[in-house]
Amino acid sequence: MAEQLALRVGVLFSQTGATAIIERSQLNGALLAIEEINQSGGVNGRRLEPVILDPGSVPIRYGEMAEQLLSEDGVTVIFGCYMSSARKEVLPVVERRNAMFFYPTLYEGFEYSPNVIYGGAAPNQNSVPLASYLMELYGNRFYFVGSDYIYPRESNRVMRNIVRQGRGTVVGERYVSLDGTPEDFDAVIADIKRQKPDVIFSTVVGTGTVHFYQAYLRHGGNAAKVPIASLTTNEAEVEAMGPQAAAGHITAAPYFRTISSDANRRFLDGYRRMFGSITTVTSCCEAVYFQVHMFADAVRRIGSTDTDRLRVALMSAEYDAPQGRVWVDPENHHTFLHSRIARVDETGEFVIQREMPRPVKPDPYLAYPALNDWSLRLLNPDPDPLGSRLEHVVHVNQQHH
Amino acid sequence: MSTNNIIRSLRALRVLVLHPRDNQAEELLRQISRIGCRGAAIWPPPEKLPDEGDVVFVEVKETISKDIRRLFDIDRSHRPTVIGVVAYENPSVLQGLLDLEVDAVVTVPLRPFGVLSSMVIARRVSQEFKVADRTLGKLKRKFDSVHKISQAKFILMKLHGLSEEEAYGTIRTQAMTKRTTMADIAQAIINADGILGSTAGRRKPERLKLTVTGD
Repeated sequence: MAEQLALRVGVLFSQTGATAIIERSQLNGALLAIEEINQSGGVNGRRLEPVILDPGSVPIRYGEMAEQLLSEDGVTVIFGCYMSSARKEVLPVVERRNAMFFYPTLYEGFEYSPNVIYGGAAPNQNSVPLASYLMELYGNRFYFVGSDYIYPRESNRVMRNIVRQGRGTVVGERYVSLDGTPEDFDAVIADIKRQKPDVIFSTVVGTGTVHFYQAYLRHGGNAAKVPIASLTTNEAEVEAMGPQAAAGHITAAPYFRTISSDANRRFLDGYRRMFGSITTVTSCCEAVYFQVHMFADAVRRIGSTDTDRLRVALMSAEYDAPQGRVWVDPENHHTFLHSRIARVDETGEFVIQREMPRPVKPDPYLAYPALNDWSLRLLNPDPDPLGSRLEHVVHVNQQHH
Repeated sequence: MSTNNIIRSLRALRVLVLHPRDNQAEELLRQISRIGCRGAAIWPPPEKLPDEGDVVFVEVKETISKDIRRLFDIDRSHRPTVIGVVAYENPSVLQGLLDLEVDAVVTVPLRPFGVLSSMVIARRVSQEFKVADRTLGKLKRKFDSVHKISQAKFILMKLHGLSEEEAYGTIRTQAMTKRTTMADIAQAIINADGILGSTAGRRKPERLKLTVTGD
């Protein structure tokens, strides 16, 4: 009886292949949120039941498996995808079958679908703050290294425009195939040494990230002087490459494990309980975590999973995510997110250097972001953002006891 | 023409939607605003197109009303970029697209995906047409002037027994002294020749091998 009542949701992240490290982290985020929801009685008395498929990091498989989830497994909601090329395969499927698709990954923008809720950062939420930070601290001679697919190329186009506004130059640009070997990066680093940039902007994703950072260290790259800056390199990849290769490099993201907030502590505690350690917690994992919760909240409010009603309910969805309060922008289905910049310390932990005081409105169709946009000005992080609140919480609890 | 500029200036565009107010028009307006353009709906068709429209989306059906036809029957240099919105692809509708000389098409039921590409391509097409019109006008004027100068040179050569270079030099000196164009001087010579009835008419100019030296 309980099984019949279960509310099935599709979960489409690769556990094998080039992007498995990050997508396993996303899968865990989904499973943690589902577990939390079920622990608290499910959604309107129904247990959430994930239907998990592994597309093996092959874009076309995402589309095929989305079709399978919707037509055979009877789900109307899918959480999934890391690469843009994978999302593009799923998009026509969910539109044709009018399903709801949650995409918890930063991407290059220029998309809107009535059937998608975008939970990751658009370029205006991460590229602009990152570029201004890099030019302020390191210089304006940039070298671009990316994986060879759509996200890195478009991301680099955006970055090039921002760098030019800052009177900077792009001194080199190289792309390496998604299944690039460590040797592929040796050639890239040889060229970087010739061009002598001030900073390297990396849009390498997946296992290539580990190869790239390790090769940089192997060839004597100095992160303190010329860091690799990225929008995607995350805790799980730092774990895989080791702290020595990661130290000193920079990432811009809405979430880092080191954020001190009640919501983040609850999130990390839960993750540790469920998966044994928090080494694989990433911003994309946090994004899918809050998206599953947003979905469950919306279903609770309307008492239905009907896509058209769900869409309306999600337009006013808000959630106290580990990164802070986030909400869906009803204009474009993307999410108001926090913007932070962190540097990896010698123990392999991201230490937040700058952050935006408020969530940033997503602007997915911004072709030419302005470097000096006052609304995107970063601040140094609050040195003790939680201290006072924490005291307050403890105090209140004591009173109750 | 810089095509890069089309993408850069997209957000400055003012977009009008000339379409009955229904879900399709609403969805189109929402996508226009997502893209970051200022959009406005106009229905029923106004007396004339508002000046502030850079791009106009217009519903194209099997018959195009006089009101709509009149709106777009204007000089190309004043014409906004026009994008047809069609629900059918039958020959009547297709003919409507040709008659209205649209620069691009979007189809309904409207998918937000594709609107931006249509806008970009429509801008390129309409800009190219405008540039081509201007170039064509310039070339036509240039050709007329060269033609007149040849004719005038021929008159001077016959009338005063000048060489081609001397004839050309005379026209140029006159133009400089009178601070006018060589085409104007050439026209005056042709006019005078017409009135005085010269030898020019006896032999047809096209039979003479004149080298055009340019103005």
